[in-house]
Amino acid sequence: MAAPDELFCWEGAWGLPSVSSDCLTVLAYAQFAGAPLKLRKISNPWRSPSGSLPALRTNQNETLSRPSDIIIHLRKQKFNADFDLSAKEGADSLAFISLLEERLRPALIYNSWVDSKNYVEVTRRWYAEHLPFPLNFLLPGRMQRQQLETLRLLRGDPHLEGGEELEKELYREAAECMDLLSQRLGAHKFFFGDSPSSLDAYVFAYLAPVLKAKLPNGKLQQHLKSLDNLSSFCSNILLLYFPQDTRESGGQKSSSPPQPEGGDFDHVPNKRRKQLMSALVALGAMLSYALLTGILSIQQLQQEALEAPPDLQTLGSRDEDEEGDG
Amino acid sequence: MSLAAEAFVSQMAAAEPWPESATLYQPLKEDQILLSDCASSLAVQAYLRMCGLPVQVVCKSNAEYMSPSGKIPFIHVGNQVVSELGPIVQFTKAKGNSLSDGLDDVQRAEMKAYMELVNNMLLTAELYIQWCDDATAAEISRPRYSSPYSWPLSNILAYQKQWEVRRKMNAIGWGGKTLEQVYEDVTQCCQALSQRLGTQPFFFNKQPTELDALVFGHLFTILTTRLTSTELAERIKSYSNLLSFCRRIEQTYFEDKSS
Repeated sequence: MAAPDELFCWEGAWGLPSVSSDCLTVLAYAQFAGAPLKLRKISNPWRSPSGSLPALRTNQNETLSRPSDIIIHLRKQKFNADFDLSAKEGADSLAFISLLEERLRPALIYNSWVDSKNYVEVTRRWYAEHLPFPLNFLLPGRMQRQQLETLRLLRGDPHLEGGEELEKELYREAAECMDLLSQRLGAHKFFFGDSPSSLDAYVFAYLAPVLKAKLPNGKLQQHLKSLDNLSSFCSNILLLYFPQDTRESGGQKSSSPPQPEGGDFDHVPNKRRKQLMSALVALGAMLSYALLTGILSIQQLQQEALEAPPDLQTLGSRDEDEEGDG
Repeated sequence: MSLAAEAFVSQMAAAEPWPESATLYQPLKEDQILLSDCASSLAVQAYLRMCGLPVQVVCKSNAEYMSPSGKIPFIHVGNQVVSELGPIVQFTKAKGNSLSDGLDDVQRAEMKAYMELVNNMLLTAELYIQWCDDATAAEISRPRYSSPYSWPLSNILAYQKQWEVRRKMNAIGWGGKTLEQVYEDVTQCCQALSQRLGTQPFFFNKQPTELDALVFGHLFTILTTRLTSTELAERIKSYSNLLSFCRRIEQTYFEDKSS
């Protein structure tokens, strides 16, 4: 065979190999099927060949981005995790994957993108810290609008807004879905037999972020933790198939309590850069303002120069506030 | 004490007998209703017949705007209005009519999963073919959808609906699919349903459940509706157990009443 296919994924966090459910699906399936992929964990969707993540660049230079398409492609390459399933089990997989997409996905979107506390404190923060410089101001907000739009279209309500009623309804559906999965799983290690299949990949990808992400509004997480078999299903897969990511997070966790100063040191270069950037932006704005008006009439230039310093101060202080949040 | 009494009273109200005057609303059957709405409406009718609850079907050209969720069909029972199959199943359950009580936990989980499979693949495929296939949208969906309205409004409403469905398809990743891929998905879904049904009379043992009603509603409507191409019906016709399943439900629940 020629060079292996290249898989582009979001970076991981919280002990997960990736933060996005769609990426996790593909990663888990590839692990289960033993597909040799050249993995590229990136934090800039614009560097992916399709402009979105996940994306698979095959050795024929085709680009696939839907998880189901990627799985079908891997299956055609003889990397099939569903090989041992009977026809009826295959049918059950398809049904339960639909259940996840219809019932759990809206609640997950709500949980990380629409719930304002979770979005501001965790989701936006993570993306703002990991995206490269100019995109980190642009993309998180845009992604949130897209996700809200998706949720509206999924629910068929164009005026849908985040709120307690919607939250209750979505979480009730999601909790019911988790209960059903837990009942189906029972005391087994995987959904079908002794080895994981594509359904296990999907369930893991949808539930692992709920289990691992530390969100301030953790109602879904609480419910998942109360279902022992499902939560240990997720941690088992993490341990067995992604030991490296789990260990990394373990290392981070053990070193994180005494880390505050260390953490600050880590942030210093970033902070310097931000300070420099904001100063440059302020300076640029001031100069262009002065220049624009100055070109029109040179006599006013002196007045402008007198008025400019207050502008500089307000701009500077606003930037400092942002740094405090980030 | 008073709280407990109140809860008891509301339970009694929920357990009120099913009135004779219950009505189901749907768009005009001859000129207006579209494949997907017709399938959902038939599924609800089949479900209510399986429960033995009488309901009168009323066709209204503005049914979509009368429905509390904007979706078709909806039923009007006593002083309550409920739309779509899922909530209607909940509602009849509160009134003491349930088809899925005999199932164990795993079976109930599987039943819910298969119902979502039908919604996720068959219903979405119907919507795709209706609104995203240009020939079907121009020849059937837009003229039928807008038939009760006069000229400027008819065009506006039909294109608005088409635009909305297309955006939904993009949001769920179906936007880039070709018609052939959609047919392939339908085949995959029918294959799964056919496998699950096997040689049993109903999906779970000998008693029908809401899953049987939902599958019947969609398959029967696809088989009996004329579209620009017969491809969709052809895909289902290759599964003989699904065909005899549809025929069986039609004979048991729909023909006895009329004869």
